[in-house]
Amino acid sequence: MKVFVIDVGRCNGCYSCQIACKDEHVGNDWTPYAKPQPDTGQFWLRQTEHIRGTVPKVKMHYIPMPCMHCDEAPCMPACPIEGVIYRRDDGLIIIDPEKCTGCKACVDACPYDAIFMNEDLNIAQKCTGCAHLLDSGEWTIPRCADACPTEAIQFGEEKDFKAQITKAEVLKPELRCKPRVYYLNIPKKFIAGTVYDPVEKEVIIGATCNLSGDSKKLTATTDGFGDFWFEGLEEGVYSLSIQAKGFATRKFDNLNTEKDINLGDIPLEK
Amino acid sequence: MSDGIGRKVDVKPDKTVIKALALGGLLGGGGECAVDVKNGKVVRIRPFHYDWKYDCESFRPWKITRNGKDYKPLFKSVPSPFSLAYKKRTFSPNRIKYPLKRVDWDPNGERNPQNRGKSKYRRISWEEASDILATEVKRVHKEYGPLAILVQGDGHGECKTINTPHGHSGRLFDMMGGFTQQVRNPDSWEGWYWGSKHVWGQGIQGMYNPADNIVKDMTENCDMVLFWGGDPETTPWGFTGQCATRLCYFWTEVGIKQVYICPDLNYGAAVHADKWIPILPNTDAALQLAIIYIWVTEGTYNKEYVATHAVGMDKVEDYVLGKDDGIPKTPAWASKKCGVPEWTIKALAREWAKKIVSIAHYFGGSYVRGPFSHEPGRLECILLGMQGLGGPGVHQSQITYTGMPRAEGLRSTRFFNPELSERITKPVATTIRAWGKQLIPKTWIQQAIDEPPLTFYGSGAIETPTEDQFIKYTYPLPKEEGGTEIHMIWTDTPCRITCWNHGNWTIDAFRNPKIETVVAQHPWLENDCLIADVILPSNTTLEVEDIVTNVRQGVNFHSMAIMEQAVQPVGESKSDYEVVLEIAKKLDYGNQFSENKTTRDLQKQVFDDMEIDNLISWEDFLDKKYFVFPTATDWENDSPGFRKFYDDPEKHPLPTPTGKLEFYSARLAEHFPDDKERPPIPKWIEKSETHDERLSSERAKMFPMLLMSNHGRWRTHAQGDDITWTREAPTCKVTGVDGYKYEPVWINPKDAEKRGIRDGDIVKVFNERGVVLCGARVWERIMPGVAYVDHGARHDPLVPGWVDRGGAINTIAPYGVSSRNAVGQATSGYLVDVQKVSEKDYQEWRAMDPKAFDNAYRREYDPAAGLRFNAWVEGGM
Repeated sequence: MKVFVIDVGRCNGCYSCQIACKDEHVGNDWTPYAKPQPDTGQFWLRQTEHIRGTVPKVKMHYIPMPCMHCDEAPCMPACPIEGVIYRRDDGLIIIDPEKCTGCKACVDACPYDAIFMNEDLNIAQKCTGCAHLLDSGEWTIPRCADACPTEAIQFGEEKDFKAQITKAEVLKPELRCKPRVYYLNIPKKFIAGTVYDPVEKEVIIGATCNLSGDSKKLTATTDGFGDFWFEGLEEGVYSLSIQAKGFATRKFDNLNTEKDINLGDIPLEK
Repeated sequence: MSDGIGRKVDVKPDKTVIKALALGGLLGGGGECAVDVKNGKVVRIRPFHYDWKYDCESFRPWKITRNGKDYKPLFKSVPSPFSLAYKKRTFSPNRIKYPLKRVDWDPNGERNPQNRGKSKYRRISWEEASDILATEVKRVHKEYGPLAILVQGDGHGECKTINTPHGHSGRLFDMMGGFTQQVRNPDSWEGWYWGSKHVWGQGIQGMYNPADNIVKDMTENCDMVLFWGGDPETTPWGFTGQCATRLCYFWTEVGIKQVYICPDLNYGAAVHADKWIPILPNTDAALQLAIIYIWVTEGTYNKEYVATHAVGMDKVEDYVLGKDDGIPKTPAWASKKCGVPEWTIKALAREWAKKIVSIAHYFGGSYVRGPFSHEPGRLECILLGMQGLGGPGVHQSQITYTGMPRAEGLRSTRFFNPELSERITKPVATTIRAWGKQLIPKTWIQQAIDEPPLTFYGSGAIETPTEDQFIKYTYPLPKEEGGTEIHMIWTDTPCRITCWNHGNWTIDAFRNPKIETVVAQHPWLENDCLIADVILPSNTTLEVEDIVTNVRQGVNFHSMAIMEQAVQPVGESKSDYEVVLEIAKKLDYGNQFSENKTTRDLQKQVFDDMEIDNLISWEDFLDKKYFVFPTATDWENDSPGFRKFYDDPEKHPLPTPTGKLEFYSARLAEHFPDDKERPPIPKWIEKSETHDERLSSERAKMFPMLLMSNHGRWRTHAQGDDITWTREAPTCKVTGVDGYKYEPVWINPKDAEKRGIRDGDIVKVFNERGVVLCGARVWERIMPGVAYVDHGARHDPLVPGWVDRGGAINTIAPYGVSSRNAVGQATSGYLVDVQKVSEKDYQEWRAMDPKAFDNAYRREYDPAAGLRFNAWVEGGM
């Protein structure tokens, strides 16, 4: 059974995956697997951008999203016609482009916005995992994975990715669709800042920053730039205290990590 | 396995051809792709797998190790997304399909130069086009002499070799008695060329050289790498692809800290930065001086090295401590200018002094392309020198462009392949050398037309030694040497308006009646084509039979390949070489120009020029269609960067007059004793005779933001702005309420709020040199006070010479060059304001030129690809 394993920590956001997918499917007819994708507006693999924090503590990541080829795919029961959306022996899900009647039920049912309506052809379309290429025997991975310069997108047999899958997560797990696309290293929230002495106009190196919340206590020490970073935080409310020898302790309460938090340049008084 | 119904589809191509689809041009290759063709159609373009017909082990893959982890090449190429999307370029709705003539340009009557950039075009036949141009060439030669023709072997282009996009016209006119050459300046690395060369003497591009093997040395030794200005996730894309990204990820994996110093959270910083230090555009010199101040006052630089390897430290010290001008260049002083907090400046200086640090660039981005760019360029050399440049892990890196493991049998890894014979290199030489009889720097084309005569120091040619910068040139040459003003212009792959300095003045100057004929050859109807009189349709890499030498570094493996024709030419287009051959034939130079050689003859010549017959035979090469250079067995022994100079400066001197790092340049002092903009030691220049672009300027009251501009993420300079698939990325274009896809301007939410601007709004970026419409991208990826627009968007004039809708930001870049004695371009770090566009604005612009304005809104436009061919051609397709 095939899986995608996508390492968000190695995705540089180049969009080669999204574009290689278009190169394969726009203007090329791969019936019975897929009919041509329109030139613009459809993203059978959709790259997404996520910017977190404020100047100068800003981080960014990208999450490439193909069809999740879910084990419990909501699109399949939504389709009124038996056999139009089917699962192959290798787990990839295909919308039969010759049988689809364009009722859009699957488009609405997909919680990942991975299915697109082609108004000209009056069919629903999506990622096929490049099944037409895999079946040719010449290809072992889809175009998006071949085009990825960092090997962030990997594709293959589930059993060969066991180690990664144990550490991975899926998108929207609460929907229990059991996606076959696994993600590694999706960043969680951060709280960060720079600690400095406003009199000497120097950063304070080695200040102890204690963070509590989410039933955890974490400690960070400011680095050579006076910076502290708490990364990988769950969403929640935190409080922070910053202590440095010879300075008054500085406290921050009610830090809500619904959004990532840059506390900016923080002066410590003597 | 089947599709479940038991039917398959035939995905096998009829043929697979190899193409280098990077866009740096100049014979160095890059962006290697496999192109699958079926039924005469390009089915797919994919990364090239080097092991297609060879065993990987025959490449002797290299390995670099740190902390027990290995960094190794992939066995496939890693092209940029626009290389993968290249069929969209070949089959762009903007392709020029046949020769065109401006409707109101009559070579036998009224030429209407004032209408360049306004009038449309009409289809003509190749016969008519070549007749007209042969007659024009003869007339101009007779009336004014051969030097009245200006050859603009323009900016960048596709990686073709025999059919290179540049300078075939120069080769023809050279046979006919000469021509005036537009000398292309080092537009991506001005600061190194006009600055650093005077410190370390290096003669070609001005960056650290030799830089052999520094990737290994940096990977093994660095604690920290400063990415200063340049973006490893953007600029390499156009030249070779994405090798830099894997190196950056590897450095993160092994704990090498990456600090980004730039106004924007650029694409490299977005995914690789351990720390981002935002700095106001073109104020890096202030930060650099303050770092020197800390090192001097705290005694934390390598004094021993400086004593034996550099001259002029005393003068630098005096200046930094304020002994010269009474102003110590303290962190407090610098902070006010560059926007970096005083404490962060001190911390950076101390971290740097304590750790093993290299600086990485890919050319330098906006940092070395502003007014006085030679000052930060030179200061960087001093900073590196003060920390023992050439020692373990102390280098200036043009990341993956230099310093990669050496290949066997490859004599040069320059961007331009100097091993090829003159027949092949001569056209390209028009872009990189000053070999025309009469010269005009590209940055001064408009001055040459409107304000001759000119004198300048240094031709500005990319490949000239430092000494060239002390030579005085004049335009026009004296009459007795054949000198004359230019009256005809022949340009190829042109993009001056959108990629060079003060584009609005270019448009204006081309309307000067003394310019009687303008010829452009290009695959796409865009930019400078629109100010031409005759346009000749050239074609793209996919349409030509050619050969490529992928010798530039920044590829996983060097290779060379026969680039077979993939598809038939679009319309009546011809290769750039064939375009000029058509005219040569009419001038009775056909045989001399072609030398009666076939494409196969020239492919063989390129193969022979590479002198690799000990590695592969011509027959075997022709059979396999490609060859991969193996890694040299002894590459690890190559001395890294300046190591020999570091070890023994007396025995291995630098190519400077003293053989040392010249913090103080006696040559600059001698040749330019009154130069306040590029004095013998680098300084902070607040304002000068050439530029007044600082926040301290009176002008800043009207234009309070600093504009920064880098090379674009989604195109290489002007190439690729019409790819429908890249234009869907949120950083490529912003769709305005009117449905037009605007070039983004990044502004910080704080600046946006003050101006009532929301993400997606149509805004004007402007100063007294003009107005450029953009789409607002309001986010935290840019520091407050800065407006960021990449250069190279396709020009779309609303009011020609004043208002551009296409986002061609360089139309409003400064009139001045780098500085008085440095004819580089200054296209980043200048004053503008950004405001929402109002109905009143449109009314005012319309009033300036109602006909041009109304025409602009009537032009055929498609948001997916932008302007279309039909927009400028009567009768259309």
